[in-house]
Amino acid sequence: MKKILIIASALFLLGACTSLKDEFTPVFTFNYPEPAAEQGETLVPNMTVAEVAGLYKTGPVDIRRELILEGVVSTTDQPGNFYKTLYIQDETGGIELKMGRNGLYNDYPLGQHLYVRLNGLTVGMYGKNNSGNGMIGIGFTDPTGDYETAFLENKLLIDRHVIKVKGSVLTPPEPVVVTEMELPYKNSTQKTNHFLGKYVTLKGLKYADETFVLLYLDSKQDTKSYTNRVFLSPSNVPGDPTAGITTWAMSKEKMTEYLTSGRWDAFRVGSGNNYTGKTLGDYREDGSYPGVEKAAYSVSQYFKMGNTTIQLRTSGYCKFADLEIPESVLNGTATVDLTGILTLYQGNLQFTINDISDIKVNE
Amino acid sequence: MKKTLTLLTVLLLTTFAALAQTMPTGGVKGTVVNRQGRIPIAGAEITLLQKGVTIETCTTAQDGTFLIEGLADGIYDMIVNAEEFIQSRVFVTVDKGFIKDMFFISMTAERVVTITDEDVVSDLDMADASYSDNPTIMFDANDVFSSVAGYGFSSVRFKNRGYNSESNDVLLAGIKLNDAITGYSPYSLWSGLNEAMRAKETTLGLDPHFTSLGRYNGVTNILATPYNVRKGWRFSALSNSALYRMRLMASYSSGEMDNGISYAFNVSARLGGNDWVKGVYYRSFSYYAGISKNFDDVHRLSLVTFAAPGERGAQNASTQEVYDLMGDNMYNSNWGYQAGKMRNSRVRRTFEPVTLLEHVYTPNDSFESGITILWRTGKNGYSALDWYDAPDPRPDYYRNLPSYAYMEDDDYGRLNHDKYDWAYEMWSQHGKPYDRYQHIDWDHLYDVNRATTDGRSKYALEERHVDQNDINIAAHFYKRFSNRYMLRSGFFGRYDKARNYKKMKDLLGGDYFLNVDQFAERDHAASEAMAQNDLDYFLANGEAQKIRQGDLYGYNYNAVVRYTFLWIDNDFDFGRFKLNFGLSQGYNSLWREGLYRKGLFAGLDDNGKEIVYKGEVLTRYDAQGNPVTSKGMSEIQHFYTFAFKTNASYIIGSNHRIAANVGYFSDAPTFNQTFISARTRNTINPNLTNMRTFTSDITYQYNGNGVNARVTAFHTQIVDKCDVTSFYDDSQKSYTNFAMSKIDQQHIGVEAGIRVPLWLQGLTASAVLSYGDYTYNSTPMVTQTIDNSAELVIDNQPVKYWQSHPIYKQEKMDDGSIYYPVDSDGNYIVEKTVQHYVEGTPQIAAALALNYRTNSYWFFEVNAQYFDKSYLDMNPLYRTEMACAGPDGIITPQEITYMASQIRLPSQFLLNASVGKSWYIKRTYNIGFSLELKNILNNRDVITGGYEQTRLITSDNYDRYYKFDPKYFYMSGFNYMLNIYFRF
Repeated sequence: MKKILIIASALFLLGACTSLKDEFTPVFTFNYPEPAAEQGETLVPNMTVAEVAGLYKTGPVDIRRELILEGVVSTTDQPGNFYKTLYIQDETGGIELKMGRNGLYNDYPLGQHLYVRLNGLTVGMYGKNNSGNGMIGIGFTDPTGDYETAFLENKLLIDRHVIKVKGSVLTPPEPVVVTEMELPYKNSTQKTNHFLGKYVTLKGLKYADETFVLLYLDSKQDTKSYTNRVFLSPSNVPGDPTAGITTWAMSKEKMTEYLTSGRWDAFRVGSGNNYTGKTLGDYREDGSYPGVEKAAYSVSQYFKMGNTTIQLRTSGYCKFADLEIPESVLNGTATVDLTGILTLYQGNLQFTINDISDIKVNE
Repeated sequence: MKKTLTLLTVLLLTTFAALAQTMPTGGVKGTVVNRQGRIPIAGAEITLLQKGVTIETCTTAQDGTFLIEGLADGIYDMIVNAEEFIQSRVFVTVDKGFIKDMFFISMTAERVVTITDEDVVSDLDMADASYSDNPTIMFDANDVFSSVAGYGFSSVRFKNRGYNSESNDVLLAGIKLNDAITGYSPYSLWSGLNEAMRAKETTLGLDPHFTSLGRYNGVTNILATPYNVRKGWRFSALSNSALYRMRLMASYSSGEMDNGISYAFNVSARLGGNDWVKGVYYRSFSYYAGISKNFDDVHRLSLVTFAAPGERGAQNASTQEVYDLMGDNMYNSNWGYQAGKMRNSRVRRTFEPVTLLEHVYTPNDSFESGITILWRTGKNGYSALDWYDAPDPRPDYYRNLPSYAYMEDDDYGRLNHDKYDWAYEMWSQHGKPYDRYQHIDWDHLYDVNRATTDGRSKYALEERHVDQNDINIAAHFYKRFSNRYMLRSGFFGRYDKARNYKKMKDLLGGDYFLNVDQFAERDHAASEAMAQNDLDYFLANGEAQKIRQGDLYGYNYNAVVRYTFLWIDNDFDFGRFKLNFGLSQGYNSLWREGLYRKGLFAGLDDNGKEIVYKGEVLTRYDAQGNPVTSKGMSEIQHFYTFAFKTNASYIIGSNHRIAANVGYFSDAPTFNQTFISARTRNTINPNLTNMRTFTSDITYQYNGNGVNARVTAFHTQIVDKCDVTSFYDDSQKSYTNFAMSKIDQQHIGVEAGIRVPLWLQGLTASAVLSYGDYTYNSTPMVTQTIDNSAELVIDNQPVKYWQSHPIYKQEKMDDGSIYYPVDSDGNYIVEKTVQHYVEGTPQIAAALALNYRTNSYWFFEVNAQYFDKSYLDMNPLYRTEMACAGPDGIITPQEITYMASQIRLPSQFLLNASVGKSWYIKRTYNIGFSLELKNILNNRDVITGGYEQTRLITSDNYDRYYKFDPKYFYMSGFNYMLNIYFRF
């Protein structure tokens, strides 16, 4: 019996040591092997951006064919002006990929060559109404009908459809200079205008003395209800087209500063023809505004390119949100050159820059 | 007072004298103790013989005492038998009708087979794994309840009488070693040193303790001195399928040599993972060395040092959705593959050496004094992933789950079933292509870091440190003034400075990480200075610090705790009646010392001026107009502590004992309860008060005919407890701090244990039960602040549905739909109130065990356990009116029921067995094994703990909030522990 026990314990020790060896190698030394770099794939593209845009007719199109688009990433969400989305472009135009994840530049930096396997995705338009077109983009089917496409969001879904081109090097696109004549019309799409959605430069824009911001009293409530909305726009308070906003956008801190200064007190709560009868000033209590949510907000600053109005839209979450617009721009003595993505929203031209360095002031 | 006492004494004495007159007056009394540590042995059988004829028998009481009266003068042969001790035999002379006091009769343990390996228990100390409470260890082999419950119930994290582990005093050589910052038990300091730390004095509940006043949840004093370590060499190898692959241990103790010196050492290694939880592993070592010299049995000086250096990978809790998708309740989201090798992101790495010097002075039998100085230092780090401006790398992040895309109930606004299918595939399919989604994708983290243009890591592995420098001194003495009265007293002093900081452990392929606060950066886009974790560095260098491997970053502060107390205890011994009362008074002070000036809370500079950067004043002020500071010393918080305890017991006949205890304790808040956000600033919890505990219990015990039984009923009221938690509050879209105060708890219950010998020699049956009702019974107050701005969200408002929530009267409309009628004031009519319970332990626990020991050193045990009435930790946010009201601010009965209800965990049944045998070879060598089979029925649904998440989902109609799913920890299924040992 004793012998058996001694033999058994020897076997037991041996067994334990053997099973330890494998699970222990990196743990014990803390020398975890350096992983190999991700490789990407090689696919054969059979679509251009203009062709993808051409698939769109009047409503969202679920793609169920082996269509493959190749493009290069033209935007970056690093400074925070693009959020959860990116644009890719080829010779024929640029198109949005509604990725739905943050920190996209970490995986898909500016200049990254990508394939988009369209099979299983949806092509739809964002920002279309009676007065004009929005932008055709690539996303996922949205059963709610709120939007024509939803964000991809899911990692597996993204990895199966957005694929890095194997062996490609980063080649950030060069901006194309677009003249006023070449600008899209309100019913243009990426099929009909090759500059839409593309990385372009617009030169000699003049500040138009007009801003647009949509505030929500409480973003936890229905943000579509007029009782929850305040438009800082020329139509709200006649004679106050800029609401005193002199920054490109506003962070939560800057917004609080504007609000508590009392500068916006005359702005009415409501939209269009429906106003609640209250103004922002009515929410003032001891110098603070408890009924108004303090948050970061996007701002549209209006510029004129010749006779064409272009809204420069900047996110309140971007790193340059609170930078002051140079005085020379505000007073009209200087024009700006903008480099970024040219888009349409309800037939209006909008422009989004990657970073503050994309605004060049011509003193 | 003195008069009353004298009177009482006289009264009692007369009573006894009167009783004594009716029978022969002679007798014998004493206390049976374990030679190691003078631990009283309860239930020892004492037989008095004269010429081989049994004259009288009795068993010792809970405190090891016995008294045999009615003896005629003469010489008696006294035999003392106690389970697991070597029989002791002495001659006793009774003369002149006096009661002979034997004082201490010490016995030597013969326990060669030890199945109960406390190491396993202490290793469950998961201060990691988001788990804050250690299991209760109360180990008194002679009390049936504690011997069954103490080890057997630890697998389900049973807490004795529902108390949290802070209330259990753990002493080492008389020094209270509960963590000075959190109050948690410090078992992990000596895990793996089972042999060296085996000798201990344990008391339960309110029972008196010898070298301290004791508390209401027992005291464990680990003796730790070399002369208490069992003599000889001991080697053991252990394998455990639910914890670690292997433990190897060796120990040696010289015993006391002729020159009065004794020395001992103990080393061990715990290595490997287990069969149940992937990614969990041990790489832990431990050592103990002690030397002691006995100077003529008068002075004894001991020097001891030990530590348990090593690291271990931790387990994480996930939601049931994840467990179900993975088909495994033991899924662990902490690990992933790196170049094909398993790597755990959450690793606790510690090296905390403890050194102590003890001097004991015993000039005679009636006096002892002792003084111990203990120093704990070293490092304690716990790693975690950190990331900057990149997606959350944790695989089970809620946005990665199917439920985030689609929920059955469309009010959640999660309607995308096609996307659900993708998420479902991602989690329900298994194999290599899916590993990167179901576990941490280390390879991808490296890819991201290597792709940055300037080497700035986006993902990194941080190590959160709490490095303590803890100096303690304890002194005690006792003096036996007479057979009837002993005075014990002591002093305790502690100074603990715990450095809290983050250290860069691994840049994961990048070159540096930036020392900025990305949440501050988000809220203060325009101000680079506000985002700084170390503003002074930024101001001096014009840029944020680039953190390299090994650098400190994030937060950096000292938690300083200082406390002292004096205690005094009086023991009166009137034979059958014993009385004890004592009190302690102390003074605590604590403060925070910030070592970083955080951009958000710049405070004032050294000259008392505001901090200005590029024309912007960074200094912020709180509601009272004081600058919010992060650097430098906070205000010192002072607290006076007080405790009073009294115990009385009476022995009826030779088998029955009744005892009663009463105690009052006023305890200072811990450091963690004091600061609202210790990582960032000096702001103090506004409603800080001492926590007071009123407690009492009453016990009946029976020892006789081999039967050992105890029943205790207890009642405890805890008043004004404080708590601070921090979490992301969706309603504020910010990380917030939640400082609660005025939390009251009531613990009522009974615990009972009985052991009876069965028909077969060596076969015994034991049954234990703990039946409690541990409730919250106050409406606490809360102050909620935004972590990044110190801005008030809730200013000292009640947490309305914390202790209970109402169920309102329902009525059915004609069409069958339900509505809630209102009274004349328009209020809903309360039909009943649902009580909320103290969480984290089964309030009902029962076990039935059969033990069989043979004379040839075989032993067998089978035990069945039942646990019920266990509740999940409540998160206070869900019990506020705000959360119940939802975004629309209107509270409805349905919302209250949904939001405020507490989760009761399912009851559980477990079956365990063990077997062991030891052999003696030539009387000097001893070899043996023990095998424990746990959870034989392979019950895989036992939730051992978990917590509610604090996040809220806004309903599609903006009229209510939904809760996030709670996270659970599960117990392993069937597992074994095999221990093989060799001793000589």
